[in-house]
Amino acid sequence: MTKHLSLLLALFLLILFFSLLNPLFFSTPTLQAIGNQIPDLTFLAVALTLVMITGGIDLSVGSLLALCSSIIGVHMISNGASLSEAFLISLLGGALCGLITGTITTLGKIPSFIVTLGMLECARGVAYLVTDSQTVYIGSEVGALAESTGFLGVSPIFMLAIVIVILAQLLLTRTVYGRYLVAIGTNLDAVRLSGINPTPYQISVFMISGTLCAFAALSLTARLASSDPNAAIGLELSAIAAAVIGGTSLMGGRGSVIGSFIGVLIIAVLQTGLASMGVDEPTKRIITGAVIVFAALMDFWRTKQRRA
Amino acid sequence: MYWTDALALLKKAFSLLIALFLFSCSNSSDSEQGVRIALVMKSLANEFFATMAKGAEEHQQKTPGRYELIVNGIKDERDLSRQVAIVDEMVALRVDAIVIAPADSKALIPALKKAKAAGIVVVNIDNKLDQELLAEEQVKIPFVGPNNLTGAQRVGAVLADNLSPGDQVLMLEGTRTSFNAQQRAKGFELAMKESAIEIVDSQSANWEMREANIITASMLTRYPDIKGILAGNDSMAMGALAAVKTIGKLGAIQIVGFDNISAVNQAIAAGEILATADQHADKLAAYGIDYALALLADEKAILADRETPVDLITAKDI
Repeated sequence: MTKHLSLLLALFLLILFFSLLNPLFFSTPTLQAIGNQIPDLTFLAVALTLVMITGGIDLSVGSLLALCSSIIGVHMISNGASLSEAFLISLLGGALCGLITGTITTLGKIPSFIVTLGMLECARGVAYLVTDSQTVYIGSEVGALAESTGFLGVSPIFMLAIVIVILAQLLLTRTVYGRYLVAIGTNLDAVRLSGINPTPYQISVFMISGTLCAFAALSLTARLASSDPNAAIGLELSAIAAAVIGGTSLMGGRGSVIGSFIGVLIIAVLQTGLASMGVDEPTKRIITGAVIVFAALMDFWRTKQRRA
Repeated sequence: MYWTDALALLKKAFSLLIALFLFSCSNSSDSEQGVRIALVMKSLANEFFATMAKGAEEHQQKTPGRYELIVNGIKDERDLSRQVAIVDEMVALRVDAIVIAPADSKALIPALKKAKAAGIVVVNIDNKLDQELLAEEQVKIPFVGPNNLTGAQRVGAVLADNLSPGDQVLMLEGTRTSFNAQQRAKGFELAMKESAIEIVDSQSANWEMREANIITASMLTRYPDIKGILAGNDSMAMGALAAVKTIGKLGAIQIVGFDNISAVNQAIAAGEILATADQHADKLAAYGIDYALALLADEKAILADRETPVDLITAKDI
């Protein structure tokens, strides 16, 4: 826990800052609004954390989200499928795309940056094809997942996101699979020399990433009550930012899912706080950019101090 | 040493936060100092919406103290999820009214329905919400804005007057999911039909200059006999103009747009673009705010749509 102390402090200071400026900011409805809008970014940040720990990157997550969302919408509206059926198909779709990028990257020995950049374009194209470039309105059948429930007033998708964060953190820290992911990111040659074949791990981590995109798609589709083929353009950058703020290294070998989740919270609080003040768009972007760099700097200082 | 310090600080921050929470909870009822109106826009990087926001701010400053204005936009025209999030956040902040230019005619309806259920007055400007879906969801949201269909028809007629029957033109549509893109396309089509001019191809450039430029360039090589271009907004008209200039056909191909942004205004004065339509962007949001204020003053008012003027702009108007 002490590992994330400085991050939590930054988050608290941010909340404090906005609450002092606007007393209405720190209220249950605002916290609910934040809680309701973070699940999609949370799933993507978890996906990026796992991929980045192995030393790779997945730029396709935003487009895969749009593709998976389109699959859900079209399957439900045009084919009359139930939500669970449609979600299952989109899970398979996401995993398949992950399998494709993972296989090409690992076996073809091409940097994941390029392969996932290609997937970013392809998946977006397929999303437009599937939906005929139209927003597919679904309605309350899926929208209910984003509504507050009796349990602490949080939505089902928020709870799902929390469960996935916990599971992914356990996977990373408490399982052999997770340790191998870290080892691959730290020193690939050492892993090979110790007689472990890294290929299945490298491929599967992209499949996990693709699957998480389907979860993210479910949350966004629920929040909009529709499938939007234009959804999540550039969201991969926010997910990378969240992971980096949370202390995940772009070089691989180091990272934490909990840290990334706090990174998501920092981004969301910042966004909502600035919106509650009606700050103009250019200023918003300048502040957001500065906070990302500052948070990464704080993390860098912290690790340096720990080593010293 | 470092960690114990940080821990102590964290504890302090936390207790302060709890105190603040209790304070804001107990204080929530008497925080109504004045009327607060949230203006939720599309991309403020688009001059049209920036003008609209500026007009709203001027409207607010004219009568200081009458209401408080919170303006928010999204990073580009298609960032739907962020716009829905902004609506949720404004509901959470308990504003009195939301005046919105929706990025999508359908997907914003659930969020706005929630806002209305929370007792917030909602007024729709610029891009009209899907009337069928509103009826289905049993929500009534009045629309304040121009008639895009007749506006586009008038702009199209100017182009038709400069061409002869049988000529070929192409059309650049806005994002097809939005109602005003559909209405402008319909208006253009009607005007072309009246003068027997053929629309050989029509594609969506998502309201954007760069996309319009690429699409126009490829369409011009495919259809070399094109005499005119109908652009659903001025950004796309500018993109088309650049493509026409690149192949040296300036003057041989006539372009019309919609919105009357300053760049197009200059292009019309220079004779590079034929016509556009002015929807008085600076007043659009202000009309919406006025309507919201009227609805706040009279809870029993009937929610009716209000049409705002659209003026045709050609070289002789500048």
